[in-house]
Amino acid sequence: MDFHLTIEQRDIQKVASEFAKGEFDPDAALDYDLRQQFPLPIWKKACELGFIGVHFPEEYGGQELGLLENVLIVEAFCRQDSGIGMALALSGFGSEMIVRNGNEDQKTRILPFVAHGEGIVTSAFLEEGHFLAPFATTAKIDENECVINGMKSFVTLANMADYIIVVCQTRMDTPQAQTVILLKKDMDGIKVSSMGEKVGMRMVPVDQVVFADARVPVENIVGQEDTGYFQLQDYFNEMRIKTGAMGIGIAQGGLDKALEYSKKRQQFGKPIASFGAIRNKLADMYMDVEMARLITYKAAWSFDLGKPDLQAILMAKMISSQTAYKTAYNAVQVHGGYGYMAEGQIEHFYRDAKVLDLFLEPRYIQRNMLADNMLGR
Amino acid sequence: MKEIIPFYDQWEKEGIIPKEAWKKMGQNGYLCPWVEKEYSGAGLGLEFSFIITEEMAYAGVYGLMAGLHSDIVAPYIHSFGHDKQRRKWLPGCISGDIILAVAMTEPDAGSDLSSMRTTAVREGANYIINGEKIYISNGILSNLIVVACKTEIESRSPYKNISLICVEEGSPGFSRGRNLEKTGWHSQDTGELIFRDCQVPVSNLLGEEGKGFYYMMEKLQQERLVSAIMSQASAEAAFTMTLDYYKQRKCLKQAEVPIDANGIAEMATDIEIGRTFLNSLIYDHIHGEDIIKRVSMAKWWISDMANRVISECMELYRDYGYLEEYKVGRFFRDVRAHPIYAGSNEIMKRIIGKKLGI
Repeated sequence: MDFHLTIEQRDIQKVASEFAKGEFDPDAALDYDLRQQFPLPIWKKACELGFIGVHFPEEYGGQELGLLENVLIVEAFCRQDSGIGMALALSGFGSEMIVRNGNEDQKTRILPFVAHGEGIVTSAFLEEGHFLAPFATTAKIDENECVINGMKSFVTLANMADYIIVVCQTRMDTPQAQTVILLKKDMDGIKVSSMGEKVGMRMVPVDQVVFADARVPVENIVGQEDTGYFQLQDYFNEMRIKTGAMGIGIAQGGLDKALEYSKKRQQFGKPIASFGAIRNKLADMYMDVEMARLITYKAAWSFDLGKPDLQAILMAKMISSQTAYKTAYNAVQVHGGYGYMAEGQIEHFYRDAKVLDLFLEPRYIQRNMLADNMLGR
Repeated sequence: MKEIIPFYDQWEKEGIIPKEAWKKMGQNGYLCPWVEKEYSGAGLGLEFSFIITEEMAYAGVYGLMAGLHSDIVAPYIHSFGHDKQRRKWLPGCISGDIILAVAMTEPDAGSDLSSMRTTAVREGANYIINGEKIYISNGILSNLIVVACKTEIESRSPYKNISLICVEEGSPGFSRGRNLEKTGWHSQDTGELIFRDCQVPVSNLLGEEGKGFYYMMEKLQQERLVSAIMSQASAEAAFTMTLDYYKQRKCLKQAEVPIDANGIAEMATDIEIGRTFLNSLIYDHIHGEDIIKRVSMAKWWISDMANRVISECMELYRDYGYLEEYKVGRFFRDVRAHPIYAGSNEIMKRIIGKKLGI
């Protein structure tokens, strides 16, 4: 057993963190958050330097690295700024389905497009009521084309996306008979409307997407017909780990700021870091972050070995998202009144962290999944 | 509430409450109802004021913070002001023509009030105030502010050198800074106050010179109780809302995974424990008992509990909980302030420790 990252992995970590420190301007971050805007110039630069799509094959603009390397980058980005970090991590949302299941043409079209920052790709699966199977959004498929009808909710960045990867029900009699279809967003039969303001993750607006007889050729089907449900399961595993990465990044970032502030801030004639109440918090935060990191790296490692450890993956998602929430809560607390103000540069970590608990599925559902798994169901 | 709720989203966007809304509160008798009739009050018990504070928090109206005005600041004027001051200001506080604020916190004086730097020096019939206050609720709207100042610069003991002086809007040398962006309480104006050779008549001193620290320590008890009341009410409101939402979804068979009662039962229990504790404190406080230790316990426990419960409520809403349209997210942002102000929860534990003799 070896808990060390490889030299290459440490280099990636270092470069990503230097990039984030150099490029994530804190004032710009506040402004993007306030105006609910995607940090376009920073994302472009991150793409130019090869930080997006590192896990894509080299021939499609990636670096053929694993999920663990991607985790290190997402973690470093979110550590520097929760909002910008998440926005960059979600700029190619769903493109992993193309990596795993796309045909040659789709890979050539989409993957370099995402990696080089030519545009945004997103995926649409959630629906009103959160059913995953069967979906109410359907695709009728004949020899030539697919006709899509329905509505998807919580589609990240749909308004500015160039491509949407949509998961549709293709046979009503079998809940799991779903098909993944790649669409250009600007086409007849697609309407995007905003779902309004959010508590956090405000640089990544979410939209509702309505499909009304949206027609695309069958060549746009990703992978085999009726395999969508299983593609989505694989993708969810990858996303749970990536969520874990965002969680440890946000938590570590909160801890960094709390540590720095507690050394600097003087009350009662000494730094607040000398008071038990603050020291206890710092120690607890550190313990939580370290635990979340270990389980998230383990989950990523199992994924890269091609043997995704579902239990570790579920734990990584639950532990990291709760750690992000708790650590950001305490980081705000260490900052006192300043922590509640936007200018304190920590309160958005708290608002942003909470989304991770909701992402994909909340804890009470994941606990059930873990228990099912433990009980062999 | 029909005068507030329909406009509240707009006020949240604008970051401020119109003064008219304060006047409407006054016209309806919702401000300082505990003030005696001789000062134009309704002469009711403190419990009536707490009920209004609670209802406001229950409705999620953090911006129009009647509790701060009626239960936190007005008592300073009432308890420590002399008759002339009471007659001059309390009727306005009741009608809503006067909006109150209290200014203690400074950039370098948060938990540690003794390190405050704002000074008030006597010069003839005036005090000359110099200094800066931050994170002052009602900081932009207020037209009468109780300002904690150092009056005896020589004495280093905070127990002897702090005085409370009322600064009226328009006093020469008094200006306001920015209305600050924050996690929640968006329509509640949190501002900076700046005093540059600010002239205030000596007759604006509340009580005796040098006794400010004791006055604050006395009145902070009620501020902590108010914070606990608001936390508790918000937790109850968010929980009730969430339970309704969950049941409704269940009726529509939209909850694809059955949630067992476990987590919900834990939340309900937390809330019930908080309510029981709080009610006993309110009773004892109204009957004049010393609640310092227990109100410190209630302030930290209930404010953390409210944050914990509301955070879990959001998860029951799933992704919808994160949309501003579903008000649970606003509660999530608003209640985060409670563990911080009126003495942070860390300070509450310090006080409890002292009371326990450690």
